[in-house]
Amino acid sequence: MNGKERILARLRGESTDSLPLMPITMMYAGDLIGQPYRAYATDYRVLAEGQLRTAERFDFDYVSAISDPAREASDLGAAVEWFDNQPPAIIESRALIADKATLDTLALPDPESPGRMQDRVQAVRLLAERAGTDKIVQGWVEGPCAMASDLRGLNTLMFDLSDDPAFVEALFDYAVRMEVNFAKAQVAMGATLIGVGDAAASLVGPRLYNQYVQPFEKRLISEIQALGVLVELHICGNTRRIVKGMGETGADIIDLDFLTPLSEARAAMTPHQVLLGNIDPVRALRDGTPESVEAALAECYAQAGPAYIVGAGCEIPRGTPQRM
Amino acid sequence: MPDLQKLYDAVLNGDQKTSVAITREALDAGTDPMVLITNYMVPAMDEVGRLFECEDYFVPELLLSARAMKGSLELIRPLLAARGDEPVGRVVIGTVKGDLHDIGKNLVGSMLEGGGFEVIDLGADVSAERFIEAVQTKNANIVCLSALLTVTMPSMRTTIEAMKAAGVRDKVKIMVGGAPVTSQFAEEIGADGYSDNASSAVALARRLRAEATA
Repeated sequence: MNGKERILARLRGESTDSLPLMPITMMYAGDLIGQPYRAYATDYRVLAEGQLRTAERFDFDYVSAISDPAREASDLGAAVEWFDNQPPAIIESRALIADKATLDTLALPDPESPGRMQDRVQAVRLLAERAGTDKIVQGWVEGPCAMASDLRGLNTLMFDLSDDPAFVEALFDYAVRMEVNFAKAQVAMGATLIGVGDAAASLVGPRLYNQYVQPFEKRLISEIQALGVLVELHICGNTRRIVKGMGETGADIIDLDFLTPLSEARAAMTPHQVLLGNIDPVRALRDGTPESVEAALAECYAQAGPAYIVGAGCEIPRGTPQRM
Repeated sequence: MPDLQKLYDAVLNGDQKTSVAITREALDAGTDPMVLITNYMVPAMDEVGRLFECEDYFVPELLLSARAMKGSLELIRPLLAARGDEPVGRVVIGTVKGDLHDIGKNLVGSMLEGGGFEVIDLGADVSAERFIEAVQTKNANIVCLSALLTVTMPSMRTTIEAMKAAGVRDKVKIMVGGAPVTSQFAEEIGADGYSDNASSAVALARRLRAEATA
């Protein structure tokens, strides 16, 4: 079985020759090829090289165009702080939609036009060309809550959920329309799986998640699936109280952070729902030993059952030892 | 005289309009401003912290309560300053150099303010020099360093080292926190305490103040 066959078999509920491996690597992949992260996040050729070499080195079953949450926001004109060797960050104090009225003036960005979205689309193209036969090629988009917080500011969005839910819904709707377009461009270039990252959703609690966030996640996921590809939902942080709703989004893969026990996710979902995760990236991986990693992985498998793909709670941290 | 239980309820429920109105009414009626803080606002924020810890409240609810409390504090603070009342402690807080993720820092700052501390918020991406300057000029007792990223955690160490070099390290207690931060890391870099959530950060700050003043 090659990596692609292994992941697809797992998603069909069939047996595999080994556990599929889909750990997120970003800074780790940049470091592996000796490139500063700024180059990794701005030049698709560097990203593709990092992904291909990392996947080869560790026999991963996929490669991914994930890099940072600021691609869409950058193309829309949001203020972004750049660093030489870590991911760019959106400057919340200068949020693009600081004034709510700005939302009505924003057109949907074109992922085919020069910019950071196009760079990701090109990364997907190159990854598909070089590895698409053997490995799953993952594109990436922001989820509605994450994208809304990128544009409005996370702190402000938390107030908006109570102060002006109608505005939040309009903002989520805009985010979904933008991300479906972005996904479409990546699928056209050969993405076989789209990751949806919605970290901010872990902060809002079950009432607001189920009422406002989850319906838009569900819509985004279903519209991407209608393009003929698989979808992975990744929400960093503690999702214990919203994990049932996550399982009801229809995502093919639910990717969980280490703060949410896989046993709880499994209890909240069907035995067939594929779970991905959730080894503690810092304590078990970066600061761990081969023995502690093996023990953590065995525990994940015991809790998740057979519908399971190996990954860490979030990206493999920079500095994680390479012992094999 | 207004029903002051309504101030407690307004802070707990994140109702800024009511908390400000009751506070104004109470102050106009001659209520000691410290009574409003100690008997109503601090207990309300303690309850908010408890609900947050047991996952009945989440970030939006906590921020709304903090906003209600801050609305009242804006009316109360000038009165306390005028009569020379001292806060429980003075905290300088910020995310360390290179880290722009500030929601965790904002939660901790709000909870500390709700616990009766004066909070000097330096914002995000704060250099060691700015922390040092704030300690020197604001008469702070506690410094809180926040980082969300593993790549910015080393800035916590360099900030503490710079504080040592500037001769201000021993004037304050240093607390650290953030998703990737561990108690082991806190110990390694020479911090005085670590908290993994906003509510227990208040208990930690109170303990560190008690130790310092014992």
